[in-house]
Amino acid sequence: MAEKNGALAADAAGAASEITLERVNVAPAQTWNRLRTNDITLTVPARSRKGDVYFSLPRLFEGVECGMGREVSDWVESQAADARYVEVPRGERREEPIVVAVGAGDVADTGVMVRAGAEVTIVVAAGAGEKDGEAGTSASLLRIIAEAGARVHLHEYAAVGAAQQHLESVGISAARDARVDVHQYLLGGGTVALGFACDLAGERARVDLGCRYHAAGTEVLDINEVVRQRGRKTRSELSYNGVLEDAAHKGLRTTIDLIHGAKGAQGNEAETVLVLGDDVVNKTLPTILCDEDDVAGNHGATIGSVSPEQLAYLADRGLSREDAEQLFVRALYEDALMHAPCDEACAVVEAGAVQKGQALLHTEEA
Amino acid sequence: MSEERRRTEVADVDRSLYDFTKSEEGYERYDDGLTPEIVRAISAKKDEPEWMLEMRLRALDLYHAREMAPNWGPSIAGLDLDHISTYVSPKTKQAKSWDDVPEDIKDTFERLGIPEAERESLAGVGAQYDSEIVYHNMREEVAEQGVIYTTIEDALHDPKWEPVVHEYFGTLIPPTDHKFAALHYAVWSGGSFVYVPAGVTLPYPLQSYFRLNAAGAGQFEHTLIIVEPGADLHFIEGCSAPKYYEANLHAGAVELFVKDGARLRYSTIENWSKNMYNLNTKRATIGADAKMEWVSGSFGSHVSYLYPTTIMVGDRGTCEFTGITFAGATQDLDTGCKVIMNGADTTASVSTKSISKDGGVNTFRSSVVIGRHADRARCSVSCQSLMLDDISRSDTIPAMDVRNATAQVGHEATIGRISDDTVLYLMSRGCSEAEARTLVVNGFANPVSKELPMEYAVEMNNLIKLEMEGAIG
Repeated sequence: MAEKNGALAADAAGAASEITLERVNVAPAQTWNRLRTNDITLTVPARSRKGDVYFSLPRLFEGVECGMGREVSDWVESQAADARYVEVPRGERREEPIVVAVGAGDVADTGVMVRAGAEVTIVVAAGAGEKDGEAGTSASLLRIIAEAGARVHLHEYAAVGAAQQHLESVGISAARDARVDVHQYLLGGGTVALGFACDLAGERARVDLGCRYHAAGTEVLDINEVVRQRGRKTRSELSYNGVLEDAAHKGLRTTIDLIHGAKGAQGNEAETVLVLGDDVVNKTLPTILCDEDDVAGNHGATIGSVSPEQLAYLADRGLSREDAEQLFVRALYEDALMHAPCDEACAVVEAGAVQKGQALLHTEEA
Repeated sequence: MSEERRRTEVADVDRSLYDFTKSEEGYERYDDGLTPEIVRAISAKKDEPEWMLEMRLRALDLYHAREMAPNWGPSIAGLDLDHISTYVSPKTKQAKSWDDVPEDIKDTFERLGIPEAERESLAGVGAQYDSEIVYHNMREEVAEQGVIYTTIEDALHDPKWEPVVHEYFGTLIPPTDHKFAALHYAVWSGGSFVYVPAGVTLPYPLQSYFRLNAAGAGQFEHTLIIVEPGADLHFIEGCSAPKYYEANLHAGAVELFVKDGARLRYSTIENWSKNMYNLNTKRATIGADAKMEWVSGSFGSHVSYLYPTTIMVGDRGTCEFTGITFAGATQDLDTGCKVIMNGADTTASVSTKSISKDGGVNTFRSSVVIGRHADRARCSVSCQSLMLDDISRSDTIPAMDVRNATAQVGHEATIGRISDDTVLYLMSRGCSEAEARTLVVNGFANPVSKELPMEYAVEMNNLIKLEMEGAIG
């Protein structure tokens, strides 16, 4: 089982009170409210921490914008037992990944300082609780400061229980020549809300983000990702690829914010969604904000089902439509497993695959 | 290549053609503000049916009860209805001949080229001056086909058409739609009623031109168009106003009913002055095998909220939206479109361009909603934004909501400035740098201007007046 520094174990005896986080995971620029695509409202537990001493992160982290917003950060800080602070020394390449593992009822608050020229791999693995089908809310707040020339490899894996709600809020500040690559595998759960914000503050800072997701049944997936391009010649490459089945509900808000002064900046975003269910709700709000002329911002989206040409090709090889469609889903899980950087991430994928009835090659061989 | 790329100089919109005023002496002008008494007075002046007065009063209550959304859109803090007169009318009756229009008003429309356009290429013209239509006429051969092109007020006084207006008016854009839709229904005045019988194709467009001459006033015209099955119409809407330091308000409403197999092209060249709050609402519903085409050029106004909407009810309907927006100094233009696809095998195509300059703010805002029953619906959205300096702003906020597994949606958006590579390529083929940049910017606007009739394309090019200069800094 993964280390759970800073995570708050489920407190069965704790107070059962709840609070509602109104309109969180909000995109910087909003649109018609009647579309119900600007945000999500979540009801979360509010256990009293009175009498506890909370060891918070260094004040520096307060300035890091997080994807789900200030209200969620405040809530996590009020619920986590402690914050976990990790520093990667200047120029050091840390071999061991920093793992934040949360299950139902766990709340983690983590801050990572990656000093100049250092390199680190960070994994957030959000799985179901100890008991199968356990309800509850899990949450992870992760703030990363990447100093000049730092390298950050962030892996986010989430496959939580059908009755579980998971909140994941990430904030990254990237200085000059810092590079961040992000690999997100969101494999379902009752409600998964993910917020990601990356401030490319320094010149030539860069983020490459690949998000793959799968939601089925009545699962709710709500994603809000913001890249602020503040530094000159900064670069963002955002790629989204997902499969939605049954009556899954997905909301994806992405924002590339080309801030005044970010001369030479480029931001690209692309999304491909495969819709396989008749009752799927698929909402997308891909936003480009541009306050500078010497920049390039591009967005592209393709939403649809498996094309007749693809189906015909696969039918020629003996696959029915259902088989072909499931091939796309299975490929997503295989990809997640293939790229899992640690046991905790593998466990999340495998549990998610079992929950979705996906037999993975990796598992079959084992 | 230098560290910072050089910038193209592009002249602002030339407003001299539109920026002239006429005296309001002798005009009927209601008090500023919004009260039930003013609403009753407008209704009484028009001698309306009782249902219309009731609708106005209900809308007035809605206006006071509704708020603007606090979380999106440009600020309209400078707009105060206590300093806006909702009804200003010249002392003249509606004419069918330009010779019967008062000289100063006739001169206004002549300078805008309306009578000339009517002679050359229009099937009918309506000209509104402040709150009232002052000229309305249609070619005889068009009238003989059963086409009705008149004012809403005249239609309400015609026993044959009053029930039709009653049936359609305010149903596509209900007063509950938003705060300024409610305001519109409380104080609407002027506008057009068009009825095209089944199977009739108009050889030339109809055009309504709206001129707001009065300072500190509002214009609230209502356009209601019904295109019966298999009919075909091109309707052109133009609007302009001189610049004042007081805020002016335009809160019109356009309701378009395009029946099965019919086609409607609705072209707009909007060139309000930069003291105008343009809070206009346009909406179309189209039947099976019908086609709706929007061509929209937005150049004027201080603040705009403008999103023509198409509700595709029938199967196999088609919607095309082609738009361009030019935002210069002091302008904050929030424009775009909405498409709601509920019919099977429907197709929608959205293509927009925006140019931002001198601190102007452009926001492209759209929504594409594909309903559960829109099997095999196809939609593509393309949005291109050109930034001409580093003090302007351009945002794209496109929303998509897809609820059908067989639908296909594609979307692309690009924001940037004129590429140096493109300029270099053209220069290698003999263009000067200025010519190369002119070609690029004209080419950028061309997909929109080519959709307009020739004289309006020329007007648009005059509006943009993309004067490229060799010395670039």
